[in-house]
Amino acid sequence: MKNAIETVNLTKVYNNNFRAVNSLNLEIPDKSIFGMLGPNGAGKTTTIKMLTCLIQPTSGKAIVGGYDVQKNPDEVRNLLGMVPQQVSLYKDLTVMENSQLCADYYGVSKDERDARIEDLMELVDIKYAKDKRVGQLSGGQKQKASLVASLVHRPDILFLDEPTIGLDPTTKRTLWDLIRELNDNGHTIILCSHDMHEVDMLCDYVGIINTGNLVAYDTPQGLKDSLLESNKQEMTHALNKISQESDADASTKQDFHNLALKKMSILLKNQDDNIIEAIDNFDNVESIEIARNGRINLRIDGFDDMAVHNVLNQIISSGGIIKSIYTEEPSLEDVFIKSTAEVNEDDRA
Amino acid sequence: MIEPNKFWWMIKKELISLKRHPARLVSIIAFPIIMILLFGYGMGGEMTDLPIVVVSQSHGDLTDLTLNTIKSTETYHVVEVIDNLNDGKKRVDSGEVKAAIILPADYDDNSSQQKGVTLYLDSSDQMASQIIESSTQGIFYRLSNMVASQTSVSTQDANITPSLSHSMNNFKDDISLHINRIYGNIKYIDFLVPAILGMTIMMSCMMGMGATIAGERETGELARLFMTPTSVSTVIGGKIAAKLLIELLRALILIFMAVLLFNVSIKGGFLQTFIVLVIGALCFVGFGIMLSARTSTQEDYAQISLPFSMPMMFVSGVFYPIETMPWILQKLAYIFPLTYLNDAMRGIMLKGQTLGDVWFDLVVLLGFTLLFFIIGVKRFNRDV
Repeated sequence: MKNAIETVNLTKVYNNNFRAVNSLNLEIPDKSIFGMLGPNGAGKTTTIKMLTCLIQPTSGKAIVGGYDVQKNPDEVRNLLGMVPQQVSLYKDLTVMENSQLCADYYGVSKDERDARIEDLMELVDIKYAKDKRVGQLSGGQKQKASLVASLVHRPDILFLDEPTIGLDPTTKRTLWDLIRELNDNGHTIILCSHDMHEVDMLCDYVGIINTGNLVAYDTPQGLKDSLLESNKQEMTHALNKISQESDADASTKQDFHNLALKKMSILLKNQDDNIIEAIDNFDNVESIEIARNGRINLRIDGFDDMAVHNVLNQIISSGGIIKSIYTEEPSLEDVFIKSTAEVNEDDRA
Repeated sequence: MIEPNKFWWMIKKELISLKRHPARLVSIIAFPIIMILLFGYGMGGEMTDLPIVVVSQSHGDLTDLTLNTIKSTETYHVVEVIDNLNDGKKRVDSGEVKAAIILPADYDDNSSQQKGVTLYLDSSDQMASQIIESSTQGIFYRLSNMVASQTSVSTQDANITPSLSHSMNNFKDDISLHINRIYGNIKYIDFLVPAILGMTIMMSCMMGMGATIAGERETGELARLFMTPTSVSTVIGGKIAAKLLIELLRALILIFMAVLLFNVSIKGGFLQTFIVLVIGALCFVGFGIMLSARTSTQEDYAQISLPFSMPMMFVSGVFYPIETMPWILQKLAYIFPLTYLNDAMRGIMLKGQTLGDVWFDLVVLLGFTLLFFIIGVKRFNRDV
């Protein structure tokens, strides 16, 4: 698969000897949506600055769209668009004027320029405000205007830095649709966000950066599956160890045991004691409680792939009619917390 | 290499901003007017109508002549003519008047060989006391000539000690002094205005340019420009051109107001004055660029630029001639570009010199400009 971006041992050490990015090896497939995650100060911004030719790497290599960022910075710049977190358009200029300025700075020919801007405005639905000053726009409108200005030179690669922060849910969804549409049109998108749901929803691949290193890289589902697998291995190991240690106290054993359980929540149309008793007697069910809204909350054996299936079968065979089911799987946030916590612990050690 | 289309956008952007913010436009026009009014009226005007009392203990023709002469002098405003010496001194001590001119009881006595007039003076107000002293000396010098008799004036410091008093005898002498003012009768405002023009240009170019760069760096607007395939010199060049345009408009208003309000003469001609100001503006814009090359916020820039702008204002001969300053400040003055701008401006405006006559100042200014731009562009950080 062709890569839009490749870095080889990319490193940035600032003057105060702070190693912001440490031998980063990263591959971002062409025409994909890539989520770049990491805690504050992890090295994401420095990585983006190196990839967008705003700062020079200390060592290593970064190839963007086939060009070396150090040898061919202008070629790289022509391939890139950037929608920063803080809208950086001139507030006294209108949406149209800002877009024209950007187009001229990218060298878009005058003949094409205005038509291209109008098309983009239609695409992101901001044409109605084209003669409004950027300073007068709402947060969502500003982000749309910023997108137009960033796309006017038809970049192959688009960096989006927290594009939906502070936006209302409706505008956020509109922008998500737009990001998908841009990707469908062939743009590679690098999305930096702290919104795990957003990254999970949109991204084909996710990379987690911490203390200047790439600590996790996969598809969102791949990362979650690997966390579940890793949890299972850890739990099995811990439970085996605890069962061999007679002096381990009861609460420690219970803590590890609880971690191995999966939460499941069921709402029944015809809840009665027989059904509850049938579920409670089932081997895979560790605990059961009835919530105030009538929902049955269960803790079932997380290691048994058939546990959910078996519990549901038991309810149906006892005459229960299921209105809704909810099971809690590991989220991308869990992956993020685990990946960054491991590195932090390693650092402390 | 500078790209004209991108260059023009920076000018266009500034002009659009000004058009859409009338308050900013008003400020550009009002600032030089306020500056020239403040300095012109506050510092450059002549002192007149200083309040004094005359203690007259004598009567006669000479006394009447003296009183009439004092009253007709513009420097004084004679609050009252009294005969009580202690009352006169009290009024000076209390600050009600700046001085008391005391005519003794024998002032009109023709047999008296020497007439001892006393000037009881509030010397805590240095400017006023100097003017009163010299005016009083002038009056009694003229009077002594007129009456062809010996009249003496003694000055007595009201606030310090009588030992500082000194007698000024022998006004009458045989030496006549002819003063030939080679550049005409130059008032303090004439001396001040060329330097005020220079200082205003320095302040607005240096502060304005640097703050613009640091401000756009802070808000990310500069980053957007630097992410495009555009050289630092094009972006900065465009910003300089835009700033220069506005500053020259300001300079024009300054010159116009100085002529209109204070009748300041521009002996070397308007065009030459304008050219010197353009060179000065370019130099200080460069200074601003150099200082802002690595600052990331407007606040940082203000802190960095203050140690340069403040000493430059006071050391570069704006208010007082450099030669009257302590030697260390004199040395310091010659490393500040404002000194050369002031010198060139005074040469053109006061002495009627040509650009050729002030070539050294211009070469130094252009040298500074080149140095600032080279350092500024080299140090300029694309990083945001």
